[in-house]
Parts: sequence; structure tokens; C-alpha cells
Amino acid sequence: MKDWMEKLGDLVREGSREELEKVPELQSLLEILGQNLIGAGRLGEATNLVKTANHQGLRLSGSVYRQLAQAQVRSDDATSAEATILELLKRDAEDVEAQRFLYRLFRDSGRMTRAHAALNRLVELDPSGGTATFAHRERGKLDEMSGQPVRIAILSSYVLDPLVPFLDVECRRAGLTPAFYVAPFNQYTQEILNPSSGLYSFGPEIVFVALDLEDLFPAVRGVPPVDELAKGRDEIRGTITTLVRELSSRSKSLIVVHELTFAGSSPHGVLDNRRSDGLSRWTEDLNRDLAEDLGSQAHTFLLPLRQVLSRTAGERGQSRKLYYMARMRHGDAALRQIAHYSMRYLKPLKGLTRKCVVVDLDGTLWGGVVGEVGPEGIQLGPTAPGVEFVDFQEALLNLTKRGILLAVCSKNNPEDVMPVLREHKHMVLREEHLAALRINWRNKAENLADIAEELNIGLDSLVFLDDNPVERELVRQMLPGVLTVELPKDASQYRSTLENLTDFELLALTKEDEQRASQYQANRRRQALERSSASLDAYLHSLEIRAEIARAERHHVTRLVQMLNKTNQFNTTTRRYQAPEIERFVASPDHGVYVLEVADRFGEHGLVGSAIVRRERERWCIDNLLLSCRVMGLSVETVLLKRIYDAARLCDVPQLVGEFIPTAKNGPTADFYQRHGFQLSGDGDGAQSWTLDLRVDRIEDPAWVAVKVSGE
Amino acid sequence: MRTVEEIVSSVFGVERDTVDDNSSPASVEGWDSMGHVNLVAALEQAFNVSIDIDDVMEMGDVQKIKKILLAYGVRS
Repeated sequence: MKDWMEKLGDLVREGSREELEKVPELQSLLEILGQNLIGAGRLGEATNLVKTANHQGLRLSGSVYRQLAQAQVRSDDATSAEATILELLKRDAEDVEAQRFLYRLFRDSGRMTRAHAALNRLVELDPSGGTATFAHRERGKLDEMSGQPVRIAILSSYVLDPLVPFLDVECRRAGLTPAFYVAPFNQYTQEILNPSSGLYSFGPEIVFVALDLEDLFPAVRGVPPVDELAKGRDEIRGTITTLVRELSSRSKSLIVVHELTFAGSSPHGVLDNRRSDGLSRWTEDLNRDLAEDLGSQAHTFLLPLRQVLSRTAGERGQSRKLYYMARMRHGDAALRQIAHYSMRYLKPLKGLTRKCVVVDLDGTLWGGVVGEVGPEGIQLGPTAPGVEFVDFQEALLNLTKRGILLAVCSKNNPEDVMPVLREHKHMVLREEHLAALRINWRNKAENLADIAEELNIGLDSLVFLDDNPVERELVRQMLPGVLTVELPKDASQYRSTLENLTDFELLALTKEDEQRASQYQANRRRQALERSSASLDAYLHSLEIRAEIARAERHHVTRLVQMLNKTNQFNTTTRRYQAPEIERFVASPDHGVYVLEVADRFGEHGLVGSAIVRRERERWCIDNLLLSCRVMGLSVETVLLKRIYDAARLCDVPQLVGEFIPTAKNGPTADFYQRHGFQLSGDGDGAQSWTLDLRVDRIEDPAWVAVKVSGE
Repeated sequence: MRTVEEIVSSVFGVERDTVDDNSSPASVEGWDSMGHVNLVAALEQAFNVSIDIDDVMEMGDVQKIKKILLAYGVRS
């Protein structure tokens, strides 16, 4: 090493800031020094140099750190390499290569959880197809995390394999561990029609069917005459309907068909939408046909591909080149959007739909701090600044229309806030839209846990929106189950950030969803009554509970499937059945499916309980019994059990068996069979069975419930 | 400006000092036909060029990529 380097090294070692500041071009010289030290194997000094530079606020280029870490790995000192990389990430949290390096260190030392987390962070930093593919490949080398598994199949008329890494990224982000099956290129028909195809032996839970309009109807590239268009439309509709029907008959998976898009320009130019052989109208009609056909079944969906792709307008030109090169139709940006949108089907399928949005007030629902500027001083109104908050509030209110609850958690004085909620002329959200309110100075993690408890939902049902990064970080660390959204600094992005979340989807909307917000209001009145009642018994009687129980019919299936997939707490086995299975149970004489509707003096709860019974000759088995958390504590579950008990006795069956599978969440169900007189008769493989002797034991309806039995 | 080696290293997630002129689909994990498409997309973006398909097919190793990019005015 040259003399000046040794001298500079001495200066750094002595750490004299004044002396160092006199050196011209200090940063470049330090970098050269660093590289030379590493080259000479003097790693201790190099480490010291990097630390001192950081300490002195000098930015050495990331490559010095990475070279040092590499040299440390080569000399079998992974611990120091990790420290070096962490030092770099502390300074530059977005250094992709450092993140990748960190991943390798975790992988090579067998720290699997951290390795998975490092990959998650890596794809966040670099959302390119290359890195998504890298991450997907690396996951195969790691032990799987304990995430909920999901089996995803993709059938396509073009090359859609590159979607897999992007879907993998999205699934991991949602805590899912995906397995994929991509049918061989353009073999979707064979895969669907052949009962022993790879598709069926894979056993998918969800199948995406992505066909391209040009592949189904090549004439679309030319100028097809009206009659040919009409014929084509019928044929395409027929093809897709048949494929979906065959697929449904052989698999119980959810089926999501991509909309058909026409990527080219119309040969008719601006006249296209006024001609009867115009392609835009024809495509429109075709997709409407498909929406109608697929919409008639509970488990088949049409993915609005045109809407999804419209977010990636700049990429259309690129996609034709990909087609020529590799029979692909979509570039990275489009694939990322398709994967993101696909989660809107996957999350509700796996029971990951969130139920409640908790919002902050100052800076989130309005601009400014109400405690400082007063109700009239906040930014909220028809013009900017202020209109962006009104717009955001409207989007929040829209969520309640599909049964998502809203709650407020704010560090404020109630007397400053309530006048805004009640009287501010431009507030969209009012007290009556809020299922819970926490306006106090306690820490937000405690308040959120409180809200979850009050609403009787899990913490993993909450979404937290707050403009303050400090509050967000607190909640992220203390309550990792809560989805804490990275709200952008710019409030004009709030609405689109909210609408971009894929966590609020329902695969069907029921009457119960639409009424949920008002049901929670009734709940607050019930709680007021509870506080004023002398005893629990008096309270339950004063509620005037009415329960109606019936055998399930076809029109109940949507709500049943929804409950089976959403209910976690009062759920004896948490078996997540989908529509085709429930339809089969309802129609089968070997099964009894019961539904429970509950109402009280404050209003209707709707369909809130169900039971599935397998009827065998010598005994009936309760395969699943569940209750919505809204009616827990009223003993209406006994009504369900009593109905099964009555029916079994009527059929002279000697035994009733209840199955129980404990989960992390169904604690409230653990003593259900025991407190109704069942005896534990089997316990193994994570499942228990409880038996009731129908010749001896009895079950009675609770005294405070008026029961009506309909049907049978 | 980034070098071709850097781009290859970041697209396939391999360490920078393992990539040289001879690196090719045979020696780099992940450089398959799909990976090649990703690589071309990354090169086009980094150097702001649109590469002809016959040139894409010719890009069999790092050295060939550099030579072809020269014809597009890219010195890398």
C-alpha cells in the first residue's frame, strides 16, 4: 500500500475530525483506501474505516461495504459480514444488493424465518420480474414457513408462467404459502377434459383461466364481417361455458376466468364505436355474456382484466414484443397488477378478509389538528385543501356498504372531537357509522386491542390507518397481526391507497353484510341495556330473543359458505367448505344442514348460526357447528344443538357425536360439547369426539329464547 | 451507468464477481428462456434502447451482449 494510504489510515484510526476535514477529496480517497485494505486482507482495519466513516457522517459507497462483507465471508467470518451489511442497511435501507447479501447470509446459516423475511423485503425494494423470479426460486431452497398453504393452478392459452413469481410475492406478503401448477402452454382444453390430467392430480383450490382473445378468435386481427363476429361471440361463449362446467364437475376449486381483451387498435379507427361490426362494442358484449354466465354460479368469477391492465397503459406496446419473442402477453408491470388483483379472490377464499378499519382523525380524516385550530380551522370541505379528505371519507363509507366496520382511534380530547363528528358540515363519517370510538391519550396498540375485543373480532381482522409514522411503527411492532397501512405523506393519495387494498373482498354479498353497520349500532344499545340490567338472566330475558331454525335450502348457500370461511371463534372444526360441497350436503339425504336466524328487540341479526350433520345409521356426527361472534353469549348455540338432538331422537338414533378440532382461535368453543352433557369419547390427531347418549341425556332450549322451528 | 455484468447479477440474483464475459445460460442459475426475457427487459430499460428480436436471440453470453449493444451505441 502507498504511503498516503497508511497516513490516511492513521488519521482515521485517531479519528481526528479536524485533521480529516482538511484532506481534499476525502470521500474518494477513503473509498480507495477501503478497497486496498480489503485487497490486502486487512479486514479489521477496513471494518474500522467503515465504522469511522459512518460515525463522521461520510458516505462511503455501498460497494465498499459489500466488498468487505464478501471478504469477511471468504475468511469464514459470517458474523462480521452480517454486521457490515447491517451497518450499510442502517445507512441506506433501500440498498437492494445489501438486502440480497443479507438474505444469503440468513439462508447459508439456516435461519429460515429471517431468510423468508429478507426475501419479502427484497421484492419490496426491487419489484422487478427478475427479482420476483429470484425470490420464487430461492423459496424452493428454504424450508417452508408455517404459513397457511394454498394451491393455485393457472391455465392459459399463452405463456403465463412469469405470473407465478409475482403471485408468490403477493401470497407471502399475505402470510400464505402457495403451491403452483401451471398447465403446459396452450393445453387448457386437454387439462380440463382429461380427468387424469396434471391439473386434477394437483388438486387446486383456485384455478385461474387466462385465455387470449386472439388465440380464441384469430380473425379479430383482421376485419371480420358482422356475421362472423356474431358467430365468433357465440362460439367463444360456448367454449368458455363448457370448459368451466367441465372443470366444476371435476374439481371443487374456485374458478376465476380472465376477461377477454383486445390489445390491438381497431381497423375502423375512430368509427369503431359507431359501427355494428366495431370491435370495442363486440368485446364489451362478449365480456358481458361471460359475466352473466359466470355470475350465475357461486364459485365462478370473471376477473376484470381490462380494468386491471388500464393501470399499466404504458406497457401495451411492449407486450406485443413479448408475444413475438416468448408467446407471453404481459410485461412485468401488468403481471404485477394481475397478481395483486388475484389476491382479491385468494384472500376471501382463505378466510383472510379483514372486517374493520380503524382510522386516526387529525391528519387522516381531516387536515390539521382540531385541538389547535378548532372545528372550523380543520381542512375539510369542497375545495383543496380539504376536498381530498372528503373524498377519502367517502371511500371509507363505501366500505361499510359491504359490511366492513369503521372505528376511530385518536389521541385527542373528546370535547374537541365530538363537535366535528356531530356538527361539521363537511364530515361524511358520523358517529352512527362508527362501530367503536377510542378518543383518549392511551397508546394506540392498547386501544386497538380494546376495539377488537369490543367488536368481538380478532386483531387480524383490523386494518389501521394513521398518518403518523411513529404510531404506525408502534402498532406494527406491538400488534403484528393488525394490517398497518403505509399511508403516503400526500393526503391526495389516501383514497387510492385504501382502494388498492385487497383485504376487503367478499366472494358473495349477503343481506347480513349490507346491514352490518346498523347491527353494530343496535349492539351499542344492547350494551347500554346490559349495563342497566340487574342480573345477566334479567338482561337476557329483556332482550326478547327470537330464534328461528330450519333445514338449509339452496338460497342459504351463499351465506353459509361465507360463515364457514369467516368464522374463527365459535367454530367447532373450522372446516372451510366451498359452495359445491355445501350444495351437495343440502341435497343429500345423508346430511342435515341447519341454519339459525336470530332477532331481538333491537333488530335482526340475520342468519348467524349453522350446523352440518352427517347422518349414519347408528349415530349422527356433528361435522361442524358455528355461530357468528355477534350472537355469542346468548346461548342460541344450544338451540341449534337442541334441534339436531330432537331430529336424531325422532329417527331413533342412539348416539350423537360432536367433533371438535382445537385451533388458535376457537377457544370459546372448547367446552361447548362438555357443557351440554357430552362425554369425551376420542382424542387424537388434533381432533376430539364427544358423545351424547340419546336414550339417557337431554338438552333443553334456554328459557329466554323463543324458538320457532320451520320445515321438516 | 450500470454495466452488463451488474445487470446480469441483479436480474438473476447472483454475486457480481461471479459474472464475467463468459457467463451464459449454462453457467448462471435462472438464466433460462423466461429469465432471458427478464434480462432483455432490464437491458432495454437500463440503456434506453429497444433491441431487435434477432439480436435478442443472439445474446448467448455476456460478451455477445456487449458486442450487440455496441451496435445500439451502448458502451458498457
